[in-house]
Order: sequence, then structure tokens, then C-alpha cells
Amino acid sequence: MRNLLGLRAIPQIEYHRPTELTEALKLLAELKEGYRIIAGGTDLVPAARRGGVSLPNHTHIIDISSIKELGYIVKDDGMIRIGAVTRVSEIGVSAVVKEHVPIVADAASQLGSLQVRNLGTIGGNLCNASPAADIAPPLLVLDAKVNVRGVDGQRLVPVTELFTGPGKTILAAGEILAEIQIPITEATAGSCFIKLGRRNAFTLSIVSVATLVKVKDGIFDDVRIALGAVAPTPIRASKAEEYLTGKETSEQVIDEGAKIVAGEVKPISDVRASEEYRRDMSYILTKRAINRSVQRARG
Amino acid sequence: MKVPIETKVNNKPYKLEVEARSTLLDILRDELKIKSVHRGCEDGECGACTVLLNGKPVCSCLVLAPQVGGAEVTTVEGLLKGDELHPLMLAFIENHAIQCGYCTPGVIMTAYYLLNNLTEFTDEELRKGIEGNLCRCTGYIHIIKAIKAAKEYKDSGNWW
Amino acid sequence: MKQRERRLVSGDGFYVDDIELPNMVHCIFVGSPYAHARIKSIDVSRALKVAGVLAVITGKEVVELMDPLPATSNYSAIGWHWRTPKAYPIAADKVRYQGEPVAAIIAEHPYIALDAADLIDIEYEPLPPVSDINEAMQPESPLVYEEWGDNIQVHLEFNFGDIDAAFKEAERVLPVSWHEARVSGFPIEARGCVASYDKVTGMLNMWSSTQAPFLGRQYISSALRLPTNKVRIVAADVGGAFGNKLNWWKDTVVGLGSIVTGRPVKWVESKRELFLTGSHNRDVTWDGEVAVKNDGSILGVKAKFLKDLGVEGTNRGSAAMGMVPACCSVPNAYRLKGVKIEAYGIVTNKSPYCAYRGYGKDKGIKFMERIIQVVSRELDIEPEQVRFRNFIQPHEFPYKQLSGYVYDSGDYPAVLRKVLKLGEVNSWREKQGQARKQGKYIGVGVAFVVEPAGVAAPHCIYGGLTQARVSITSDGLVEVESDQTEIGQGSDITRTKVAANILGVRLDDIEVKRDTSDMPGSGVYSSRGAIYPTGALIRAARELKARMIKLAGHFLNEEAAYIDITDSVFHSTKDPTKRMSLKELADCVYFRPGPRGLPHDMQAKHEVLLTVSASWFSPNTTQNPTNTYATYCSGADIAVVEVDVETGAVSILKYAHVHDAGTLLDKDVVEGQIFGGIVQGIGEALSEELVYTKSGELLSNSYTDYVMPTAQDSPDIVLGHIETLSPFTELGQKGIGEAPPIGSKVVIINAIENALSPFKIRVPESPATRERVRKWILESQGG
Repeated sequence: MRNLLGLRAIPQIEYHRPTELTEALKLLAELKEGYRIIAGGTDLVPAARRGGVSLPNHTHIIDISSIKELGYIVKDDGMIRIGAVTRVSEIGVSAVVKEHVPIVADAASQLGSLQVRNLGTIGGNLCNASPAADIAPPLLVLDAKVNVRGVDGQRLVPVTELFTGPGKTILAAGEILAEIQIPITEATAGSCFIKLGRRNAFTLSIVSVATLVKVKDGIFDDVRIALGAVAPTPIRASKAEEYLTGKETSEQVIDEGAKIVAGEVKPISDVRASEEYRRDMSYILTKRAINRSVQRARG
Repeated sequence: MKVPIETKVNNKPYKLEVEARSTLLDILRDELKIKSVHRGCEDGECGACTVLLNGKPVCSCLVLAPQVGGAEVTTVEGLLKGDELHPLMLAFIENHAIQCGYCTPGVIMTAYYLLNNLTEFTDEELRKGIEGNLCRCTGYIHIIKAIKAAKEYKDSGNWW
Repeated sequence: MKQRERRLVSGDGFYVDDIELPNMVHCIFVGSPYAHARIKSIDVSRALKVAGVLAVITGKEVVELMDPLPATSNYSAIGWHWRTPKAYPIAADKVRYQGEPVAAIIAEHPYIALDAADLIDIEYEPLPPVSDINEAMQPESPLVYEEWGDNIQVHLEFNFGDIDAAFKEAERVLPVSWHEARVSGFPIEARGCVASYDKVTGMLNMWSSTQAPFLGRQYISSALRLPTNKVRIVAADVGGAFGNKLNWWKDTVVGLGSIVTGRPVKWVESKRELFLTGSHNRDVTWDGEVAVKNDGSILGVKAKFLKDLGVEGTNRGSAAMGMVPACCSVPNAYRLKGVKIEAYGIVTNKSPYCAYRGYGKDKGIKFMERIIQVVSRELDIEPEQVRFRNFIQPHEFPYKQLSGYVYDSGDYPAVLRKVLKLGEVNSWREKQGQARKQGKYIGVGVAFVVEPAGVAAPHCIYGGLTQARVSITSDGLVEVESDQTEIGQGSDITRTKVAANILGVRLDDIEVKRDTSDMPGSGVYSSRGAIYPTGALIRAARELKARMIKLAGHFLNEEAAYIDITDSVFHSTKDPTKRMSLKELADCVYFRPGPRGLPHDMQAKHEVLLTVSASWFSPNTTQNPTNTYATYCSGADIAVVEVDVETGAVSILKYAHVHDAGTLLDKDVVEGQIFGGIVQGIGEALSEELVYTKSGELLSNSYTDYVMPTAQDSPDIVLGHIETLSPFTELGQKGIGEAPPIGSKVVIINAIENALSPFKIRVPESPATRERVRKWILESQGG
């Protein structure tokens, strides 16, 4: 029986450390199941100790952090491509990311603490699929895609289809999320990322919002809104986006759009925040994020 | 499962057989007897176990021991020159930034990284830099003072 | 000087986890998942079969091999409604809080013990839990102790002064209520100890992360049925304590483990374990009325005071006792006519209550400072003016407060004036006015704290025992020992300086010894270090100095009146050629010629050693036995905050504090304590809270969900000092350490309320989390 302990020991594991992606994929195909992938360990290790994840004895742990071909940030043909094993800290300070997809850098530099960012990877943040994953909302509004590799091939999955539930992704057994492809924002677009936690730093998001807007002659030409921590997965607020597109960028309109967001989200109450507060903050943060995006779009 | 690894800790090479499920924190303390690295929460939430891994501050409680193969680790012991304290350490002593001392080695490693990588910083940036190091004793005021004093040592060439 | 700091910064710590003994094994506690349940059966046979497991101790063994945990206080002897339940460190038939230990596993490696823990087969019969104090007070409530018939552990009534006269004179009677959430210190190092029992000598040696090794020895030897002279406890380096390490109930099991296995046993508590089984505090509710005059004079306070003790029985009355200073500290810095408190300590299925910085007196003070805010608001008088009107005046000291506490000295108006200036209050109030026009909400908060420091209470083990010993070694160095256990508060530095100043010895020649149970004394808490152990040290050092001077005079053939010592060298003020080092004197006294060469009168009195032990007891308490504290320091805080009314987030724009702790023994040490304490209080004000579900499950059981301030959540602090000396201590010094988190918590709350005054919000409780602040704002707008 699982007896309540202060902290559990990580169970016995079978450790593997492939240095090449093909090697890793082959290994996963052989194992079929009974494995977990680790890179930074910032989610898996504490979860194993807290008993929040079930790791049967002798689970195979596949450490992909040494696969150098999965760690990169490149600008390529209208796209920023980031290897899944790129550390969050690198993304936060990358000149390329800051220039072309700044809200990804914003989210990355506010994730956890410096120590956590130096270990955690973008792929890990996505595959852990916490509803509060900070990197997700920016990727959702940027219409990013992930390249998922299996031993038999690869597929491109829009991030909007990546998350299937709390802690769950569309990845099948044997697959590794290898790359994140982010279309470069037009220079005229304005974007914003805001997160709200229980203190000023090193805090889980109670609500996080990313917005991306294009404005033409005072009218919303394109509006994208994504939120974290307010639904079973990070989500796009499509109803609000629909409402705002084609309307003028006035305060009342933005306010109305933000209210629609508050109706779209499906937050839960937990020790961190109540459903009501999350809904309310969805409204407040969306309003602020869109306003700031509109300012940046003009500028 | 035992995994053989080669690693460099405080510039010294080691060949170790590590228990796969143990952490970098475990092997530093239990195998290598490097006691400056402290068990705080073992949850990645307090930073008391902070070391430099390939030059960057990380929580050693989050790193599985086998992952350290081929990597370089630095702890406060690695900042000593024989018995001589590093100027950063002197700054901490001179500015009363050490009370119970339990968070201190972790803070020092983070501060060492920040001072080596930021040429200028505001107080606010410094506070953000050490956000992952919780201290319950000092209220951070003397720690910030000490790090700024260390910067003066560094800028005047008293540094390594 | 600062040897300790040099050691710690370079990695040479002696924290419990650093200690390694040959053949040492490890102890892990296994706890109940239920908040309330009967243990129907526990089968450890599978766990015992695991290679590397040496023993599994359950409640059955504990009841056989140990005595119940000894009570540390007992007020039923004087007729108070005071219950002390029987308690063991491991539950035998019933568990009363989530995490309560049901077994301890001793194994070669912690991981082996942790693995084996899941092989212990326990059958529980869950019982309905009670985790809400109001529910616990209902007649139908589940009972934490069936034999009691209710859940009231303590029921006290305090009636100070003349409450009826106070309310009769009242021009207004204002309702006042205030709730503080459950919180605690949770130092970065949790609890732990190493125990090593030697069968041959029968000695149990222990090293513990503790605030009081001598008290621990008393406690542990009683539980383990060992004579105290067969138990020795050494204080390891302590990674923070704040009161959370003033208990030894788990240490008894570690000691038992060593006795049973014959091996040294180490227990290093995980942080989650500390959250689940530790030392909880605050969780109090006040409900009452204040009688005032229209000019802001406060006449009297009546209140009902509830404290959620959880399973305080595990801490044997150490924490229930805190209810007394909680009620007695209500008058704070003010002249009142009457105070009447009806106090209840209620048990619930929550973790044991223990000490946390402030301990008990913090609660009454915060209640009063919230009362001042109510008075200020309702009568439309600036909060500092209400205080000026009601302050005990400088000429009134020593002042016998209604509670029986005798305040030694202070200048409260000066402290408050100084902080108003440092806090730039006028300028910020102007900014506040301008900000409101722009829809921004800035608030200015004021708080004042008179902190009783240095306890010597009756009917408990915290009665003021202390001892210090100062010695000159045979090679002319100095050794200092006392019960001023170093827990990071700066005890070593302070003792070094005090000894050096009195003895005339070089700082670097002084070695402060690690505190052990060899030194009878009460340890460090209640801000007593600078008063009691330091007082003993001062007395011992003065006597030793006089002896040294006399001996130096003897060996230099000079009258003692002309002998002085500076930087460890004796010299004659009359004849500068007459000099001798302390090293030379020591050699003379110890060996060459040794005792036979000393003055006859000293030989006759057998005063032939260069070592003196001394104690100290508060003259204030001697003269006034109902006064349980030696000194009363004071402090004032100004906080300026801005509230983001859309999110509820609070930013601190300015923070100022003025402190009066009498003579400052070391400015850095005192300031370090103040800064640290202020930030702890800010954490309590804004985010720290131990949240339980209705079924008694602790949700905030890690640093993730027990939200403490990071460096980015802590303000710059402007600090000022005033020194009004205590007439009752050796150097006029007062205790420090607990005032800062008291004032800071309530000043932030007061500032938030002031910021939100356009919304007419009354802040009912702490923490004022972002969600709560937003909720109060929406509610005020009818949302």
C-alpha cells in the first residue's frame, strides 16, 4: 500500500541515455511502453518524489538531454525553429526569439526560477502538458506547430491540437516531440504575455494570457487570445477572437471581448485559486494583454 | 541500476558508479562528501541545493545522477583557492549576509553566476536573479548588499 | 571572529545532515493519510524482510519501551481549565492528524527505508474528522479526544483592570474582529537529529537541530526512561529555527531507534514532513468590542479569543501556553482602563501547534493594532494620532500594565515620530490623494509593537534557567559557553563581542563553544538570548576580569587598581614597563608557578582557576512575579502600498521601521534579525497560509503552495534605531527578534485597508492574498 511519506524515494529505474534521435526512437519502439522521457527533470523528479506520478519499479527512463541535434534555436524561412531539448533559459535570453517572437521569450523568462529554467526544456514543458504550462499560450497564439518524430516517420501537429487533457498530449507511444516551429510574427503585429501568480516571482500561474493582434485603420484585423491555467488544457479563446475580429480597437470593445473570454474559460478551484477568481482574472488579464498588444501594434 | 559516469566536480575528475535513481545532490553529498550542497526541499522550490552545472545554476535535487556524466559541476568548495576565501564569500561575511547559513552556498553559486554574466544590473534585476533562492533569515537585504559589494571587488580586479 | 561564517560560506557546516558516524543508519517516519482514524492493524513483517531494514518501530513498541511524552507546561495545577492529553510520538491506536507518525523504519540507506515503507500493511478505520474550529466547538462535533467529551483543551478568562468602568465611560463602542490564518516558519533546514546509544556505557549521545539542548535532554531522557546524566545532546549547526525547533518528540523515536538497533541513527526531516507534522502557529480569531472616547482615547477592550491548537498535545502544552501572552499582550503600548478576554484553545484534526516567532504575544499585539485602525477609521483620526493619544508616556516607566507585565523602559512617542519621518508619511499621503484622482490606490499603514522579551513563566519548563561559563585557557585564549544556542541569529558574534569588550581580549582569541546539554539553560526563543544567557555571560566575564586583574597585579607586583588589559595584554597605568600578556598570565596561574604561586587569600578561598560560571535572573520578574518577561522592546512600522484593484496584487512602495531594543550589542546582528523578521511578517500578510480541506487534508504541504516571499517580494527597508536602556539588564540591552514580524504583518494589512478606504473595505483576515483583496473589492461594489 502507498503509505503517506514526507517524500518518497524515486523508484528503481532503468536509465538510458541515447545521444542521437534515431537511437532514442529505436529504443522507444523496442520498449513500446513502461518508459518515461526525461530531459530537465524539473517536472518528473519532484512528481516522482511527491507521489504525483506513478512510476512502477524499473520504469525505463529515457534521458534525451544529450541529444545535441535537439537543442537549437534557428531562424529559417519565416519561422523560428526551436529544438525540443533547448533549455527554457536559453529561449528567454535568445536575441532571435526576443526579436521575432518576443512573447515566447517573455513566457520563458518568467517560467519558474533561474535554476528551473536552466534545466527545464521547451519540449518538457509542452509534454508535461500542465494546464498552466507557461510556454503554451504564446505558442497557441502564434499558431506554432510541433514536429513529432516516431521510428516510422514524423508528423506536424499544430500546438492547438497537442494537448488533450491535463497532463496529456496527442503523442503516441514511441513518439518524441522533436521541434517547435513558430511562424515569425509580422513586424506590424502586437503581442503580449502576462502571467499572474500568488507572488511576484517564481510562481505557478493562476492565469496566464498571450495575445497577438494585427490592427488596420483602428480595426482588429486579426486577434488571437490564448490562456493557461483556466481549462483542462491551455486554450485559444476562439469565441472572443471571433467577436473582436473586424471590430474597432476601442476600450469598450476590448472590454466586451475580454468578458467573452471569461465566459469561455473552464477553470477549476484548487488550493491556488478559486474558479471565480480565475474567471475574473481571465477577463482582467485578457483586457490588459489586448490593450498592450494594440499599443504595440500601432507602435 | 548502477550507471558508470565520468564527471568533473570543482575541477577534479571523477569516475563514479551511481545509483540511477539517485540525484546529483545525493552523489555530491553522500559519495563525494561535498557538504556545502544542502537538502532544503528536494522539490526544486528553495534553491538550497543550487550548484553550477556546466556553468549554470541548477537545483541539484532535480538532476538524476546519471545525467551528470560528461558534465562539470561547481560548488562553493570549488571557489576556494586552497584555504583562501573567494572575494564573493568575503563580501557575504563582511555584509552580514550569512545568518543560519543554510541557504548560503546556494545563493553564492547563483550570485557567482550572475556576477560573471551580467555586466550591469539594477537592484530589481538582482532580486529577480536570486528569485530561486529562498532565504528565511535575512529578508534578502544583506544578501543584496553583499552581492553588490562583491561586484565592486570584481570590478576592481579582485576576482577569480 | 566570524569563524562560524567563514566555515559555513566555504562548505564546512555541521548541520545534522552533515554528521556521519561509523555504521550509521537512517530513520524515516511513516504517517497516516487520514486526519482522524483508528489503527485497526499494522503488519510490518513484509517491510522487515527487505534487505537493509533493521527495525520498524510502531506504536506498540513505543508504548512498551517509552514513557508518554512529558508535559512541558501544566496550568491545571493552579485551577485553570487546562488539559494535557497523553501523547506518544508514534500513534498506537488512533491517529489525529494527517501525517501523524504510525511507524518509523530504520534502514541502512534512506531509500531502502522509503521503499520498505510501502510494504507496511496498515488497516485504518477512518473516523469523521473535524478541521474547522467552529465546528469543533459544536456539541455534535467529532471528538479528537473522546474521553474529554468536547474539544476544549484550554479555557481561560482574563479580566484586567476595570472593564465595566471602561465601557461605562465609553462614548462609542466599536465592534472589532480579526483572524490570522495558520502559518509557521518552515526554515530552509527542517528538523533532524543523530542519536548514538552506547550499550557499554549506557550513554545516549545526540546531535540535534535544536534551539535548546538542555531542555531537549530533559524531555528525551524522560520519554526514554533514561537518567538525564546518561543523555547528552549537542546542538548541531541549525539551519534556521524560528521556534519550529523547540520540540523533541520525534527525536525520542530516533533515540529509541539507536537503543533498539545498537547503531547510530540519523533522521533528516523532509520539508513535506515538517509541513505535515510540524510546528504550526497563528490560526486565531478575535471577536469583540472596543470602548473609546470621541477624542480617540481607548478605554477598554472585550473579546473572545479562539486558537486552533490542532493536536497540540504532541507539543505537551508548550504552545497552548502561548494563549497567556496572547491575551496579556493586548494592551500593547497603551494606557487602558480594562481588558477582558475569554480565550479558548480548541483541538482539531490538524497538525500540532508549536512555537513560531512571536509565539503568543504577537497575537494580542496584532489585535490591538487592528483595533487602532478601526478607531482611527471610525473616529476619523489619523492612526498615529490615536497612538500618540493613548501611549504610555516616557516618564511612566517602569510601567505596570493592566496584565501584570511591568514594562521596563521606552519612549514610544519618539519611536513613532522617528518612523513617521523615515517613512515620509506626509509626502506619501499627498501622493495618495493625487493617485486616487487617477484611479490608483495607495495606502499608508502604521503599526506599533511593544514586544515582551525574555520569558520566565511559571508551571512550565520555560522558567528562565540560564548559565554561562567563561574560561581562560592555559595558553591565554578565551572559551565562552552558554545556553545561547546559535541558530543563525548571531549568538556567536554577540557573545564574542560582549566577552571581548568586558575582558579586554582580542576578538580572534575568543572561541564560543557549541551549545550542549552540559550547560543548564533554557536555550533560545522568546527573544531571550540577549537578556538571559548574555546577562549570565556578562556577570561571569566581569567576575573573571576582576580575578584576572588581581592576578596580573600580583604577578606584575602592581596594585590591581592600576592594572588594565587591552588586546589581551595587561599593563600598569602607573608604570608602562610592567606588562604581561594574557598568555603569560595563564601559564603562571595554571602551571608556572600554578596555584602555589597565587595570592594567599585566593588560595584560602580555593579561587585558583581562571574560569567562572554564572547565571542571571530578571530583577523585573523577581520584583514582580506576575511579570513573566524581563524586558520590553518597541518598534514601529510604516508601510506604503499600492493595490492593483483589478487583480488584488499589493506592491510595497516604501517600508520604514524604527526599533528600540535598548543597548545594541551588535548593529549588524540586530539589523539582520529585523530585516528577516519584517519579510516573514510580509509573507504572512500577503501569501502564507496553511490550507486544510474539510476532511483534514493539508493542501499547502510544500513551498509550492505555502507561498513565502522571494527576493522579488521583499522591499527595501529604511531602518532607524533608538536606544532606551533597560534598567533591569546588565548593559541596558533588551531582547530582539520577534517584534519585526509582528509589526510588519499588521502594518501591511493596515496599509491595504487604508488604500482601499474609498471602497469602505474592512480587512477581516490575513493573508490578504490577491484573490481575497480582489474579492473584498468586488463585494464592496456589490459584485
